[in-house]
Amino acid sequence: MKKEVGINQLKRRDFLKAGLVFGAGASGLAAGYAAVPDAFARAVYAAKREGVSNDNILVMIQLAGGNDGLRTLVPLADPALHDLRPRLAGPMVSQALPLNSQFGLNHNLAGIKSLWDKGKVAIVQGVGYPDPTFSHFESIRIWETGDPTRRQVDGWLGRTLATSYDSNGHPLTGCACGATGAPGALRDLQATLTVIQNQKTFGFTGGSEVEAAVGALYKGTPGIYGALFDTSIATATETMATLRTSASTYQPMADYSDNVKLVYSSKNQLAAALQLAAELIVTGTGVKLLHVTLGGFDTHYTELSRHDDLMGYLDSAVSAFYKDLAAHGMTDKVLIATWSEFGRRPKENASGGTDHGAAAPLLLIGDPVRSGLYGAEPSLTQLDGTGNLKYAVDFRSVYQEILSGHLGADAGSILGASFDRVPFLRAPVAV
Amino acid sequence: MPGALTNSSQLANARAGRQDFNKAVSVAPANEPLTNTRVATRGITRRQALAAAVVTGLGVGAIRLLGGSMQQIAGPRAAGTSGWVSPLASESARVMQLLRRTSLGYTPTQLETALSDGYNRTVDRLVETKPAEPPAFAAADTGGGRFPIAQLQQWWVDHMLTTPTPFAERMTLFLHGHFTTDYRKAADNTFVYWQNLTWRRMAMTDLRAMLMQVTVDPAMLRYLDLATSTGQNPNENYSRELMELFTMGAGNYTEADVRESAKALAGWQLPQPDSFVTNGNRRLPVYTAQKSGVFNPRRAYRGSVTYLGKSGPLDTQGVIDRILAQPATATHIADKVAQHFISARPAADLVNRLADTFRRSKYDIKTLMHAVLTSPEFTSDGGYRGLVKSPTEFMIGVARAVGSTSPSKLIASSGSGMGQTLFDPPDVNGWPNNESWISSNTVVERVNFVTAAIAQHQDGLRPAAGALHTHLDGVLSAQTKSLLDQAADDRARWFVTLASPEFQLK
Repeated sequence: MKKEVGINQLKRRDFLKAGLVFGAGASGLAAGYAAVPDAFARAVYAAKREGVSNDNILVMIQLAGGNDGLRTLVPLADPALHDLRPRLAGPMVSQALPLNSQFGLNHNLAGIKSLWDKGKVAIVQGVGYPDPTFSHFESIRIWETGDPTRRQVDGWLGRTLATSYDSNGHPLTGCACGATGAPGALRDLQATLTVIQNQKTFGFTGGSEVEAAVGALYKGTPGIYGALFDTSIATATETMATLRTSASTYQPMADYSDNVKLVYSSKNQLAAALQLAAELIVTGTGVKLLHVTLGGFDTHYTELSRHDDLMGYLDSAVSAFYKDLAAHGMTDKVLIATWSEFGRRPKENASGGTDHGAAAPLLLIGDPVRSGLYGAEPSLTQLDGTGNLKYAVDFRSVYQEILSGHLGADAGSILGASFDRVPFLRAPVAV
Repeated sequence: MPGALTNSSQLANARAGRQDFNKAVSVAPANEPLTNTRVATRGITRRQALAAAVVTGLGVGAIRLLGGSMQQIAGPRAAGTSGWVSPLASESARVMQLLRRTSLGYTPTQLETALSDGYNRTVDRLVETKPAEPPAFAAADTGGGRFPIAQLQQWWVDHMLTTPTPFAERMTLFLHGHFTTDYRKAADNTFVYWQNLTWRRMAMTDLRAMLMQVTVDPAMLRYLDLATSTGQNPNENYSRELMELFTMGAGNYTEADVRESAKALAGWQLPQPDSFVTNGNRRLPVYTAQKSGVFNPRRAYRGSVTYLGKSGPLDTQGVIDRILAQPATATHIADKVAQHFISARPAADLVNRLADTFRRSKYDIKTLMHAVLTSPEFTSDGGYRGLVKSPTEFMIGVARAVGSTSPSKLIASSGSGMGQTLFDPPDVNGWPNNESWISSNTVVERVNFVTAAIAQHQDGLRPAAGALHTHLDGVLSAQTKSLLDQAADDRARWFVTLASPEFQLK
């Protein structure tokens, strides 16, 4: 896949002109603004060639709200589970899809179970960080920045985008698929990034005349938001051109369906977002880091039906995505990883749900994965002072393995430290 | 640049005919020091501007606001810290910024009233006028609140477009993002309608009364699960967000406080319906009048709790009062209000001053908002165009600017691509603000909205000649100026004006 079209195809003349754009943005930078410009801003850095040396692709799936780890990877033989969750535990244990004598997947994860059977799924258990916060937004920020001390502003994937290049020397490009705003994980002033809610409607309804006028209007915009505005329009225009090309060559080879019956419907169209991700990957647009979100995991109440529905939705969307990539011969380069700001409280509450928790398992899916269970099962009887599961694996260990082992990026400089490896990759890139 | 030239010559005519006004009322208060910028930019007074408007008639309302900004269009002079050349030395510009930040755009009449009143009287009017009630929503007694949410969105948008008290709608929108609820989890659109009425009525009262109303609001009881919490086995959702998001902010309480106030708050339940209707095999509640949650002592916690440093029995009012006794509460709210109305990154000094005022007033919202709108930071040159309009402010502003007659359906359906669907915020933290509104997706959607709004009203468009003054203060980037120069007709001029980066800011 060497034919690169579109988003990160560097146009040096444009970049040189755009140096002015970045200059205007510098005041925003100085003022501490977390702007998210695009390829044009990268011109300043285009002379560098370091970081990534392969063309691997990462798709992060955010399970927003705090995914219940105990209902994702179910402990099958721990009597303590039934004491903690008299209402929730019975069905989840009896219906689980066993991986071994100790653990099973949620019964609605049948597609992911079949990928497990083919050796395509790794699960890291007990992932968390020291002194966990139970605030959604504090913990989301910690996971997004990779910094439990909360000093870092940029996202861990944003920093990767900003400092890494693919084998053609192009800056890595990111896409928030199915979103209207940039997720914190992708944020960095120098990240090359596009945000697309729906590729089928993404475009100027006024046609090429409007596109040209807006392109002229958003150049050299002053003020703290100037660079952000200008680069957003420039990226959008580039992306539209890319999508015009890719839409004509991409045919989905799987059934992506968001026609899902959810008890509390999700705002995010996960399947559509993953189909956009597949289109960008399959047609060789050069997008390397992709992020999608599925919300609704804050299951404080009637969790039984609610969480099962979400698991089923996740399963069908991920299964279609993998099948589509496989039909296009693209699975060898793509790693899919889930993340969530925290797990949930082992003890259920009066509403038939669970409150905010701590450690939880992460799923890693794809051909690059060495199948198996990693980390350590958190004890259900030795909880921490807040009644939550103690973590066994720092989430940054997972990040490090993804960054250095899959993307070949400089994990130490991106994460600011080195962490223990979690060897869930079949053939990690030597770094 | 035909539009500007026309204005310029009209202005010259107005000046020639009304020389006496030149020495009359200055735009700036007499005690206000005149900086170099101000002397350089002042070319016309407020009264003079109004007189000019009389001379030139409808469609050149811009003239009355010029405040010297004609020179500014000629090209940026010394750039301020914000990068835009601030016109805020002129009271007209300050009044227009005030309306942009508080009133969801404005019609020529609303602008004229504010300019005639001047800055301080306009602030007083905004803060002191009782919020106008929207018309009753006809489908409110639908069983289970099962009417399409789009109907309620259009109902609110219609009221935003026509209300005589737009500041109340701006505050209601702010509170909707702060005391967040989404219709999906509320699962009864009648509750969502009631909440909108409650937030508007309480918007300019005091925080102590507001927090009780928020706690017992039926949509909130559902959204943050207090309705199903019990003292014996509490649900922490409301307890945590009440402190983290609604009042004190993260880091100012412990996990033990979350657990303890979850006990103390338990016992509230949804109100009893007036009747039921059967829909298929489901019995749906019907309400004929607005109701609040009811307290059921049998579900409450019996016993003492240790909360925010004190032990003893505690009820809901006790929880609220203990939260109000924490210094962090006023600071957290002042910071959030400042981010929405003054600056994306309000200085600690400003936040502390506002918080002190808020605390001393016993958490009176009118006092807080008056302090916000009259703070020097609100009209500082460095803060000019320092905020990004939310999608709703932007869309209502477009509709009012061009004189759209029935845009509520378009507005209600266009917000989602820009990141803001009314009654459906992204999560419990409500909507993000300022730079978070800008992405490749949202900017394209904003442009598309302008295209649609103009197409919808091609025949009834207001003349655009004055728009660069009434809506952009005459402070333009070189690109915007160039495109306006090239614009062939009103349609094109409105497009450039409303799709410009300038118009996205406030």
